[in-house]
Amino acid sequence: MEKTLKITSTIQCDVLIIGAGGAGLRCAAKICNLRPGTSIIAVTKVAHPQKSHTGSAQGGLSAVDPGDPVDRLKYHMFDTWKGSDCTADQNVIKKVTEASWDETLWLIKKGMHFTRNEEGKLSKRTFGGHTLFFGEISAFRAIFEADRTGKGILDSLWTEALRNKIQFFNQSIATELFIKNDRCTGALLFRQKEGEFVKVIAKATVIATGGSGQVFKITTNCRHNTGDGLAVALRAGLPVMDPEAVQFHPTGIVGPGILASEALRGEGGILKNNGLEPFMINYAPGMRDLAPRDIVSRAIEMEIREKRGISHPDHNIEHVWIDLRHLSDYVHDVKLKEISAFFKSFVNIDAKKELCPVRPSNHYQMGGIPTTEFGEVQKSEDKIISGLFAIGECASASLHGFNRLATNSILELITMGRFVGEKVVGFLDDGSADDLPIDAGEKTLSQFNNYLNAKGKDNFGQIRNIMRNTMTEKAGVFRTEDGLNKAMETLAELKNRSYNTALSGKSLRMNQELVQCWELDNLLSVASVIVKGAQERRESRGAHYREDYQERQDKFNYHTLAYITESGEITLGKRAINMCIHEAKGENYEKFGNILRKY
Amino acid sequence: MEKTYDLVLKIQRYDPDTDKSWIQEYKVTAGRILRFVDLFRKINDEQDPTLAWNSSCEHGQCGSCSLDINGKPLLVCELLVENAVDYFKTTIFYVKPLKIAPVIRDLIIDFEKAYEKVHKVKPYIIKLKPLSEEEKEYTIFPDEQKKYIEATRCINCFCCASACMAGHNHFIGPNAAMASIIRMMDSREQAKEERLKLLYSQEGIYRCHTSKACSFVCPKKIDIAHYIALAKEGAF
Repeated sequence: MEKTLKITSTIQCDVLIIGAGGAGLRCAAKICNLRPGTSIIAVTKVAHPQKSHTGSAQGGLSAVDPGDPVDRLKYHMFDTWKGSDCTADQNVIKKVTEASWDETLWLIKKGMHFTRNEEGKLSKRTFGGHTLFFGEISAFRAIFEADRTGKGILDSLWTEALRNKIQFFNQSIATELFIKNDRCTGALLFRQKEGEFVKVIAKATVIATGGSGQVFKITTNCRHNTGDGLAVALRAGLPVMDPEAVQFHPTGIVGPGILASEALRGEGGILKNNGLEPFMINYAPGMRDLAPRDIVSRAIEMEIREKRGISHPDHNIEHVWIDLRHLSDYVHDVKLKEISAFFKSFVNIDAKKELCPVRPSNHYQMGGIPTTEFGEVQKSEDKIISGLFAIGECASASLHGFNRLATNSILELITMGRFVGEKVVGFLDDGSADDLPIDAGEKTLSQFNNYLNAKGKDNFGQIRNIMRNTMTEKAGVFRTEDGLNKAMETLAELKNRSYNTALSGKSLRMNQELVQCWELDNLLSVASVIVKGAQERRESRGAHYREDYQERQDKFNYHTLAYITESGEITLGKRAINMCIHEAKGENYEKFGNILRKY
Repeated sequence: MEKTYDLVLKIQRYDPDTDKSWIQEYKVTAGRILRFVDLFRKINDEQDPTLAWNSSCEHGQCGSCSLDINGKPLLVCELLVENAVDYFKTTIFYVKPLKIAPVIRDLIIDFEKAYEKVHKVKPYIIKLKPLSEEEKEYTIFPDEQKKYIEATRCINCFCCASACMAGHNHFIGPNAAMASIIRMMDSREQAKEERLKLLYSQEGIYRCHTSKACSFVCPKKIDIAHYIALAKEGAF
C-alpha cells in the first residue's frame, strides 16, 4: 500500500536558521544581542548542536592584533587574496579581516579558553601562507585553543544559544525553501525523531548547513556533510558558486581521513612510495616534502596513479607512506604527540617503528551558495532573494576564492555569522510578511513519496560508494576533460539507479536509510555541479587543477555560477570578482592585482 | 595475506513503530584496523540497511557514537577491530545503546534528554566579571588555566554518566558537574554562589561515591573524579 505523506503542523517564527554550527549560532547570538525577544528556530541534523562539525577544526583562527608591533591588516588581506589565487572578493576580505580582532574579544567574553602565554595574553602561532610584509616572512597571527579551536568556538556558541533560550530542532533537516516572487518565507522541515514534516513560516531564513565532503571517498568532513544546503538551493533554482573549487589536504590518515598535519613533514617526516623511494625530490627538488599543499597532493596522486602506491587491504584505499621512524623520541613524544596518537588510535600504528599510511583527503569547499558581503543569497550576479541568507562553508561571499588559507575558515564563520545577524535584524525591522507559495511543501512530499514507493532492487550505500570513488578519481586532485566527461556519465547513471531504488524500511521515524537516500540525492546534485564547473573551467586555478590546462588564464577571471534547471540540465553563469582594494588605488594597491600565486 | 577477523555482532534493536526490542546477530568479516563505525556501515551496505546508529565526526571529537560494547561505554569511532578483540578477549560483541536516555531507534538515543542535565548547570559564564578601566582584554595566566583546561576537553559523550555508580536518577552526572566546576575555576565567572547551590544540592556532587568509574571510561582520558573530588573539598 502506498503511504500518503502530509505536513503535520505549521509554525511561525522571526528567523529560521538551518544548521547550528559555528556560523549559524554566531548569527543567532548577534540577533539576540541586537533584538532581544526575536523568535529563532535553529535546525540541526545532528543530535545536539555541540555535535556539529565546527567542533573538529583544530589549528586556529587568524586575527591581526591591533597591539601587534609588526602585523597589519593589509598583510592578512594580501595573504588571503594571494592564497585565493586572485579569485576571492576584496570587499569580503576587507570586511572579514577588519572584524577579526573584535570577534576574538567577543569569544573570550563568551567563555572561550584560548591558549595563553606566560604574560596571560593570547598565544599566537604561525600557519602556511600567513606572512608579514607581503610574503617576506611568516606571521604569528593565529590564536588558538590548543588543538581544538573549533571546539572552543562551538562550545562558546552553543552555550550562548542556550542562555538566549533559542529553540532547537535537533535531528531535523530542511528539505525545501519557500520562495515566491524572489522572496523567501521559510522552509519545510523533516523532523527525524517524530517522522514528521513541519512547515516553518519565517520572516528571515538563514542557510548554514556546512560542507559537502562526503561527495569524495576520503574526506576530513563528518558523516553529515552531504551538501544539503547546496542541493536545497539548487532545487529552488538558485545557483552554487565556484563548485569546482575544492581543497584537498595532502596527508589524510588512511581510513578515517583525519588530517595528519603539515607538522609531520615540518619535523622531518619523509613521503615514500611502495619501493620506499623518497619521491618528493622528483617533483620539487628544492623544497621536497615541504612544498605547498597542492604540489604535495599532486605528487602523491601521481605516485598512486603510476602504480607506486600501496593498497590498504582493510579500507581498500591506495596510499603512500610517511616515514617518521628516524625522528627522535622527543619529536614523537612531545612535538608530534597528538598526531602520533591519531596513528595509534585510528590505524593502530606505532609511528616510531612503522611506516604510516597517508593520502590526499578532501578537506574544504571554497564555493557555495553565492551571497553579497552581507550574506544575502543571490539569484544571479545582480539579484538577491529577499529574506534569504547563507553563511559558513555552504556559502560563498567569497573570502577564499579558489584556495582557502589555513585558519581563515573559522574566522569566516564567526565574522560572517555576525554580519548576517546584523543584516537579518535590519531586515526584520523593515520587512513585511509575505505569502507562502501556493504549493509550499508539495515538492518535498512528492520527492519523499518517490523514495518510499520506488520498487527497484539496489543499495544506496553501494551507489554512494561508486559516486565517491568516481569523484575522487576523476574530479579530485587531478582533472582532465576525458575524466570529467566520464564522471558526468557515471553520475547520470547513478542518479537513475538511485531514483529507482526501494527502501528496505518504510517507516518515517528515525529511518536512517530514508535520510541517506535524500542525502544521496543531494550528493549527486552537488557532485554534478562540481564536475560541470571543472569541465568548463579549462585552466588551473588554486585547488582546481586541470592536467590538460595547467596555467591560470585571465579569460577565466570570474566566479562560476552553476544552476540545475527543472529538467535536470546544468547551466552556467558568471559573477565578477570584486577588486575594490586594487581599484581604490591606495597604498600597496598593486599587491592586490592579478598577481602570481608563487611561494 | 592480511589478517581478518570473523566477528559476531549481537546488536540490540528497537522499533518505535511497534515498540518491540530484540537482539539481532550479524556476522561480519573485517580487517584488523576497521573501526566499529566501519562495521556498522558494512552491515548497512551489505546486509541490512535498516540498522540505525549514530555518529558524526568519526574522529573522536564530537561524542555522538558512544555505545555499550560488552558492558563498557566507549566511542565506537575509535574502536578498532583488533584492539576490541584484544581488549575483550573475544570475537563476539554485544552492542547496546547507552542507558542515559530513551532509545529512539536501534542504537540511536535521545541525546536531547541526556543533555538536559548539562543545560541545567548553565555551562556558559552566568555573570561575567567586568574588565577594569585600564584592561583592554582579560588576562588569564596559564597557571590558572592549568587547573581546569583538561576538563574543557569534554565532548559530552556521556560515557562517564553511563558508567557512574551513583546512577543518573538523582545525580546531575559527572560530565554536567564538571561543566559547572570549570566555571567555578574560571576567574571570569562571578556567579559562584549560584553554582555552588546546585553543586552542593540534593542532585549535586555528594551523590558521587568516588568509584572513579567516570575517569576509567572517559574516552578523552579526563580524570573527571579528580575534579569532583576537588569540588567536594571546595578546592576550586
